[in-house]
Amino acid sequence: MEQPNALIIEMQNGNETAFSKIYSLYSEAIHGIIYSIVLDNDVAEEVLQDVFVKVWNNSKSYNIKKGRFFTWLLNIARNAAIDNTRSKASKNAKKNLSTSNFVDILSGSDNLNQTTNAIGIKKFVDALKPTCIKIIDLLFFKGFTQVDAAKTLEIPLGTLKTRNRNCIQDLRTMVLG
Amino acid sequence: MTTEELIASGKLELYVTGSLTPEEIPEVEDAIATSSEVRKEIEHIEITLLNLAEAVAPPLPAMVWTYILNSIRNVRSIGDSKSGTNWSAITGWAAAILCIGGIFWMLQQNNSLEDELQVTNTENIDLEDKLQLSQGELAETNDILDVVRSKDYKTILLPGNQAVAPDAFAKVYYNSKDKIAYIDATGLPTPPSGKEYQVWSLIMDPLTPTSVGLLSKVSDNAKKVYKFENIPDPEAFGITLEPEGGSESPTLSQLYTLGAVAP
Repeated sequence: MEQPNALIIEMQNGNETAFSKIYSLYSEAIHGIIYSIVLDNDVAEEVLQDVFVKVWNNSKSYNIKKGRFFTWLLNIARNAAIDNTRSKASKNAKKNLSTSNFVDILSGSDNLNQTTNAIGIKKFVDALKPTCIKIIDLLFFKGFTQVDAAKTLEIPLGTLKTRNRNCIQDLRTMVLG
Repeated sequence: MTTEELIASGKLELYVTGSLTPEEIPEVEDAIATSSEVRKEIEHIEITLLNLAEAVAPPLPAMVWTYILNSIRNVRSIGDSKSGTNWSAITGWAAAILCIGGIFWMLQQNNSLEDELQVTNTENIDLEDKLQLSQGELAETNDILDVVRSKDYKTILLPGNQAVAPDAFAKVYYNSKDKIAYIDATGLPTPPSGKEYQVWSLIMDPLTPTSVGLLSKVSDNAKKVYKFENIPDPEAFGITLEPEGGSESPTLSQLYTLGAVAP
């Protein structure tokens, strides 16, 4: 996906319409990231609101020349969601970062996004190797650094990189055809 | 590292997920800037991950966007009022200070007004006293005027005794019916201390003086008009200077004025 730089600049200049278009482009994916961490519908919606309010208020801290806008959004969303689960960890011990991943969510179909794409991904993901699931979950959904992910999975850094690439490649052929 | 090597290295995927170390980022960004192949690759990775994340997302209610819109508008207005001057607060405080100042000023004004009122009241009482005095004097003067105008009163001039006081004189207004006499002592000199004038009614043949009374406090009585009653039918009036308290019989050497009552 080509990054909508013109929209991003307009949003940075305080244009609400541009902001609403950016919301339509990214909100669902960001919602998925947040939900995979907080694992609660209402909480995920709350965190999503906070994230986009933060995006609006701090939009100027994003620099088009430095990094992808999607990556910038990912960082804000994952941090907000993790902060939220940490602050609620003592209240609800059952919800734990390490016990659920995106595949568990896709398998529990009641909450699923009803787009054809999602159904396609679900089929593919069901066939994903467990290592791929772990790697994508840690790096993409949970925001681990490569070093931390390699340590957690007890594999060398180089292996992590190539495996991650291969896993995403597999996913990509499925999604993009 | 060539473009192909970079793409194959798996760094681009880590770049998109934000998992690269800060040291590795410039290499990728340089490649993005120079190679459209790398840009395309990055975009493909991103759309794949975006789709995966969307697939995981539960349905997103439209209300969420409404909440976001409401809160960014609130945040903006609160931010404006914080960054700008808070005129409503300043106005409020200014009004409060003015109000307190005004109350103190009014209290002070009230105090000074009360003081002034007290002074004015005192002055009024003073003026009322003076008015009463004036009215009393006026009534007195009117009484005298009535006497002077009355047909019942005879005016008797008592000229000065050439031997004792050639310039002195006195006037007597005498009502023979009611036996009342008013003595006007304006023409008499102020008596020396320890002395006062005594008025006598006289029968000439034989010479029988009867004391009518003393012209006490001549200097205090502004009009110097004295009223005497129960005066026996006299033929003449005389005024002598006597020691304070008066005498039994007139000291003729100190006879100041003398005048006969016209028949």
